[in-house]
Parts: sequence; structure tokens; C-alpha cells
Amino acid sequence: MISRREERMLREREPKFEDTLLSLIATGRQPKGIIREARKIIAIARKFNDEVARPASLVIDRKGLEDHRYLPWEYVKKANEYKLYTLFLPKMFGGQGYSPACSCYFMEELAATCLGMSNIVGAHYLGLTILLSTWNMKIAARICREVVEGEKSGSPCILTLAMTEPNAGTDSQNVEFMDKGGLGCHARRVDGGYVINGNKIFITMGHVSTWHIVQAYTALDKASETMVTFAVKTGQKGFSFGKQEKKMGQKGSVASELIFDECFIPDDQVCLDTEQAASLRRNIKETNEQLFAYIWSASRAGVGALGVGAARGAFETALDFASNHTIDGERMINHGWCQSMLAEMYKNVAAGRSLYSEANFANGMYGLLKLMNFKSIYYTNRFIPKAILLKLFSWICEKKAATWLFRLIYLDFQEDAEIDRVDGWGSMAKFAGSDAGAANCRMALELMGQAGVRHDRRAEKMMRDAKLLQIYEGTNQINRLNLFKRLVARSYEDVHTFSSSTR
Amino acid sequence: MMMALDNKELTLLHKTSREFARKELAPGREENDKHPFGPFFQHTLDQAFALDFFHITLPKELGGVGHGIEELCVVMGNICEEDSSLGGILFTHLLSQEILLRADEENRLKQVAADAKNAADFLIATSAMANPSEGWELPVAKKEGNSYHLTGSIDYVVTGGVARHALIPATIHSETGFSYFWTDLTQQRIDKSDPVLSHGLNACPAVDIRFNHAGAALIGEAQRGEEYFRKAFTPMQLVAAAMASGIMRGSFNEALAYCRDRKQGGRKLKEWSLMQMMLSELSIRLHVSEMLLSRACEAITQGEKGAESAVQAAAFHILSSATELTSDGIQAMGGVGYMKDFGQEKRFRDAGQVQALLGIFPMKKIRFFREFIDSGIKTRNP
Repeated sequence: MISRREERMLREREPKFEDTLLSLIATGRQPKGIIREARKIIAIARKFNDEVARPASLVIDRKGLEDHRYLPWEYVKKANEYKLYTLFLPKMFGGQGYSPACSCYFMEELAATCLGMSNIVGAHYLGLTILLSTWNMKIAARICREVVEGEKSGSPCILTLAMTEPNAGTDSQNVEFMDKGGLGCHARRVDGGYVINGNKIFITMGHVSTWHIVQAYTALDKASETMVTFAVKTGQKGFSFGKQEKKMGQKGSVASELIFDECFIPDDQVCLDTEQAASLRRNIKETNEQLFAYIWSASRAGVGALGVGAARGAFETALDFASNHTIDGERMINHGWCQSMLAEMYKNVAAGRSLYSEANFANGMYGLLKLMNFKSIYYTNRFIPKAILLKLFSWICEKKAATWLFRLIYLDFQEDAEIDRVDGWGSMAKFAGSDAGAANCRMALELMGQAGVRHDRRAEKMMRDAKLLQIYEGTNQINRLNLFKRLVARSYEDVHTFSSSTR
Repeated sequence: MMMALDNKELTLLHKTSREFARKELAPGREENDKHPFGPFFQHTLDQAFALDFFHITLPKELGGVGHGIEELCVVMGNICEEDSSLGGILFTHLLSQEILLRADEENRLKQVAADAKNAADFLIATSAMANPSEGWELPVAKKEGNSYHLTGSIDYVVTGGVARHALIPATIHSETGFSYFWTDLTQQRIDKSDPVLSHGLNACPAVDIRFNHAGAALIGEAQRGEEYFRKAFTPMQLVAAAMASGIMRGSFNEALAYCRDRKQGGRKLKEWSLMQMMLSELSIRLHVSEMLLSRACEAITQGEKGAESAVQAAAFHILSSATELTSDGIQAMGGVGYMKDFGQEKRFRDAGQVQALLGIFPMKKIRFFREFIDSGIKTRNP
């Protein structure tokens, strides 16, 4: 009836089967154990919400509104006590080894209660994402070890990602813009390392983090080809914190300025530079683009989950109000218009969750989570005692061959179509989830009237918090363009995205 | 500004209010917005009082300036372009004034205007964010002799912490509906909360009030509170729309200025067609809103047939548009739009707060249907 060749040709026609039905493709490929883990992860998040986040949420927000220099140290320590910073670290690195594929569900839960506080945890995993995306196993093992030690000692060791600069927001996030943009964080090669000069801004949780994964450039006018990724530790000479941003919301997490003034970073803190990248299959610019795709595909799915969390929080708050408030002699929840609004909010949550789940499946099969989702590795991580794995893996990570092998698997073996798929879905999950969050918060405010605008009724805080999701990790405008670039434009000749030919 | 500034008085008022907003409000916007964690801008309020902004629509025979809705909307738009907190205070006072006038309480207004030496003396606090008939807890009024006493609580009385007097909706013991009561907020039988931390209009503080057998005077007639509120609703919705329109203008101007200056990918933001589209959308929303506002003012001033429904419809449109425009106003500026160093985030919050003035927004639309569409009252567009 249909030949195999014909079948293949037809299913590879746009929209490609592999780009569209990710959850279906993942069925059977993904270890079943992840489902049980997801259940447990959600329970852990809810416990943290009940015992820490919900009682603290408005308190922290109020403190942040009163003084923008407020730092949430107390809650960073609480998250550390609850072992949230090692939750998704593989056992090979000394972590608890929960599947990173469950991290999105975890973030949704936290965000549904307090979006600001969710970043006390989320920003740390963003830092880890970029660290792991460079596949420098020696540095990754060292920093993860410190995270684990920080948990044991009660002195939290958390990470940040430092990318945005005062004159380069989007310009710092896209290789197409970097060379023409206003990047200013310069890295100078010296004996034994690099010297960094410049500033980074809007760095989530910067002031309270120990390690900062920083990108700087040896030639600012050729930034896309000279990008270097560093691991910089708080306290290093030449590195200091500047101002804390006066944000509208998300007061549970600080947005920091990082200042580098003749800051020397030794070679053993260089995660990836042009010399290391020289042996890779792709050229340096393509490799940097691939690195961004790894970061964004994972982190943007996470922001999508945060957006869904915000949407859910707004829905639950509005629902609670509607079930307790009476208008025209009837509870609001019994008014048809109100039921319709609540149904719309419920749909926004469900649709957003479906999208970030699809992005998550893409990452699990083709992106950052690929290796951990191989059944053999998954069950090895799960069932072999942590002590054995840690000892073995620590020894392996010290070898250059480990970095070479992981880069071979993750960077060289990843196909261009897979990069498009994970990056495109990451962008889609991000702007859909964050738009759902903002839309639901707006509806909650409208539905609750004067109760909605009161801080003590939570909805207004959710609105302030949710708005930021449409901006960070690339504005939603940029993410729409990125979706177009990754999943649409490739089918047409002479289509330009993010370039001077784009009007 | 789409108002037809075709008379000298209106032009002068436009210039005066714009100059006041730019010189007195804009420089202190971020600082004033810190309230309740920072000081209240009493001095600015008194300046507005001295410029007769609080008297603007009070009839001349009662000691006011006697301007109409058009003049008021011009002033409100200019003020809210820079800082709508003062707009919120003015709105609350004018709502109280409208209700008092609908209840034939001219003498009381005249007396208050005559006695007022500063803004606080003149301000009349009320629950400006709510339609009292929408299920909110109201205090109970009990008649004792010739006077009434209030007992119980009411939430979110706007300017209740700074005004001397308040217009409080309350239910009369054992009767249905609500009535308005005049009360002196300085009396000891009233407990006021700290300022309620709110989404927007931070320098337009509200308080929750508990009455402990506090003295009060009935306004107008008993059980006619809802009627007075409904009569004041249409013009005050238009005033809220004027506030929203001013906020939109401020947001658009700031976004445009930023996109003209800021570069991305080596080009000015305004040179990217995506941003041109976004700025164009903002501009369209602003123009449409200003035209609607202008036409609505004209219709209400001239007493056109069906004006009330058209004015309400216009106001709903403008209030919704403002929440969307101010969100995109932040978006156009990226991360800095979210920071308090710029005015966009405040405008975003203020637009949300202004939308909630006079009651639950979807309920306002439901009542619009019931009053104008379903009741057979002729609307402008049958």
C-alpha cells in the first residue's frame, strides 16, 4: 500500500513527525521510573510549599517592596535544608539523582505558590544547566561536589548564569546579534588563564550565589567566535557585586550586577573556550549557537513551567475567591460568566503544561537530558549506591577523556535537526507558558475586584511576578522569532532570521 | 491628546495641569510610589488643592470652579500621564462629591469646601474600588434618636488614612440595600488599619476601617445608596477612562523614546519591523482610546440621547486597552521596563488598579447588559 521509502518521505514533510508528536515518540523510550519520580517530586515541592514557601511568600515580597536590597538568605538556607539544591544532581556527582526530566514539574509546583521563591531554586539549576552544557566534566564535578558539601555543612553553595550586560540583553543571547551588539565583558588571554573586565546585570540570585557561570569575549567585535564560558567564584580577586535591581516583582529572588575588574580566572575555571572547542565537529560560532540551544531549550522549558505555575496560582486564588464571595445573592462560583472565566484559566494551565511537557520530552530525547534518559544509565543512576557511583565518576571526571567523550556525545553527535527541535520547542513552551501566566493573573485581578489589588490577597503579587516571565530568558518577542527560525524558516529558501537581512 | 481644545479656558487648564504634572509629579514619581514604605506626598497634594484641582467640577455656587467632565478628563489625563496616584486621590474625592450631589447634599459640600484649609480638610474618602452592592462586607447603621451609629467593618476605604471625612456605604439595621453615611474620620470610635499595600496607585492609600458605634449622618434618603452610586457611575467611569488614557500616553511615550535610543543587533530597536509593529499597536490603542474619550466627553456634555451606554462602553474599552498597552509598554523595553528606575512598571500596575475602580470589572459589563441592552433603554448602536 505504501512503501517504506514513501512513508519516510511523507512523514518527513513539514510538519515533521519527529517535531510534532514528542510525547508519543517518548512513550516507551523514556524509563517508566520517571513517572514514579515525578509523583514524588511533586510531593516534595508541595511539602516545601506548605512548610516554607506559602507562609513566607507575602513576607518576603513585602520585605523586597520595602527595601529592594533585601536578600533572601534565610530562604536560601531553608531550601538548602530541604535538600533542594542537590535534588536533580545525578548521583554520579553526589546528588540525590532525581531525574532532571522531573524538574519542570517541580518548578511548576513551586511557582504556583510563589514565583519569586521558585527562583531561589530555579536560578541554581539554570546555572547548572549552562555549566553542564559545556561538558567540562572536571569543573562540573568540582562545583557539584561543593554544592553537595554546602548542603551537608549548612552553608548553601548555589550557582547563577551571568549573561546579560548593560548594553546587551538580547545581543548576549543570540550569536546572530553578538558581533554587532553592545557586548562589553572582555576576556584577555594571559599566562595560565584569562583576565575579565566588564559588567553583567539582571543576574538572578547573584548576591547569594557561590559560583557564577559567566560568558565573556576575547574580541568584542567578534563575540560569536570568541566567547569563553567561565566559572567564577564569589570572593575571587577582581570580582564584586554591584547594585541590586529595583524590580517590580519576584522579590523572593534578587537581580544582581556582577562587576569584573581585572579579574583573573585560571585555566581550571575555564569551562569552554575557543581552544577547547577547536577539536569539535562544528566551527566555534556554530558550537556557541549549539551551546545556547542547550541552555535555552532546557531553561525555557523551565520558564514555561514557571509560567504555568503562575497561571495555576492565579487560577487557584481566583477560584478560592469566587467560591467564597457572593454577588446578587449567589456565590460567584455559581455565575456562568465566572465559571467560563475560570474554565479559560484552567485551559491556560493545561495547555501551557502540555507545551512545556513536550519541550521536556524533546530535551529528554534529543537535548540536555538525553543521556540521563537512556534506560541503562537511568537505572544505573537509580539503583547503584551513590558512594560507588560517586567514587567511580569522580575518578573518571578527572580524566580529559571524560570531557572529550561527553562533548562527542552531546556536541558532535547532536544533529542540526535535533538542535532545531529542542530549541524551537523550548521557545514555544516559554512564551506560551509565560503568556498563560500573565493572562491568568490579569483575569484573577479582574475577577476579584478590590480584593485582587490587595497585597494580602496574593493575586496582585502574582501579576507582578508573572510579568517578568515574559521578559527574561529572551523576551517573548525574541522567542517567537526563534520558534520561527527553528521550526518554520528552514523549509523556505532565502528566509533570514535574526540577521541584517531581516527587517 | 484628542480633546478639542477649542476654548481658551480649556487650553489654559491643559497647560496648567500638564506643567504641574511634569514639574511636580514626574520628578518624585519613584519616591512617592514607595508609600506606604516612604512618606506620603502631602505637599504635592496641597499644591494640587491650591490649584483647585479638587474643586474642578464642584459647582461655583458651592465654592468650586464649576468645570464640566471634559475639563476634568483633560486634567486627569495629564496628571495620570506622570503619576496616577494623585489621579486616584482626585477620583475618590470626586466620586464622593458626585454621590453627595446625587443625594442633594449641596449644603454639606458647600460647608466642607468653605471650611477646608488644605487638601486633607477637603478630601472625602470612600470605597472607590468597589460597587458596595457587589457582596462586600459593609458596616451596619443603627438609628438612635435623630442620629445614626455605625458598627462593623469596611475594607479598602480609599484615602481613609489621610482624609478628614468619609462617605461610607452601610446597611441600615433590619433593612435591605445600602445607604451612604457621612462620618468624621477623626472620631475615636473608628479604628483604621495601616495603609493597605496595593498593586498600584501606591501614593493613593486605602485603609480598612472598623466602626465601634461611631457617629454618622445619613446621606440623602435611606436605602437609596445603590441609586446614587449608579447615577454617579457613568461620569466616574469616564473619569477612570481618562486616567487610563493618560497612563497609556505615558507608557507609549516612554516606550517610543527607549526604542529610538536603544540598539539591538547593531540597529536601533525602532528600526526592527517587529518593534515597529509593536509600537504601532501601542499607538493605535492610544489613538483609539483618546478619540473615544473625546467623543464620550462631547456626548455626555451635550446630553446626547443614548450617551450613557455609549460612554460606559467607551470606558470599558479604554480600561481594558490600558492594561494591555501598559503590559506591552514594559515588553518594548525588555528588562529595564520591569525596573522601578523607569515609569513603565508603575503604569502597568496603575492601569490594573484603575480598571478595578468602581467594582468588579466583569460585573460592570454584566450590569451594562442588564441596564442598557436587556432593559430596552435605547443605546447609540441598537
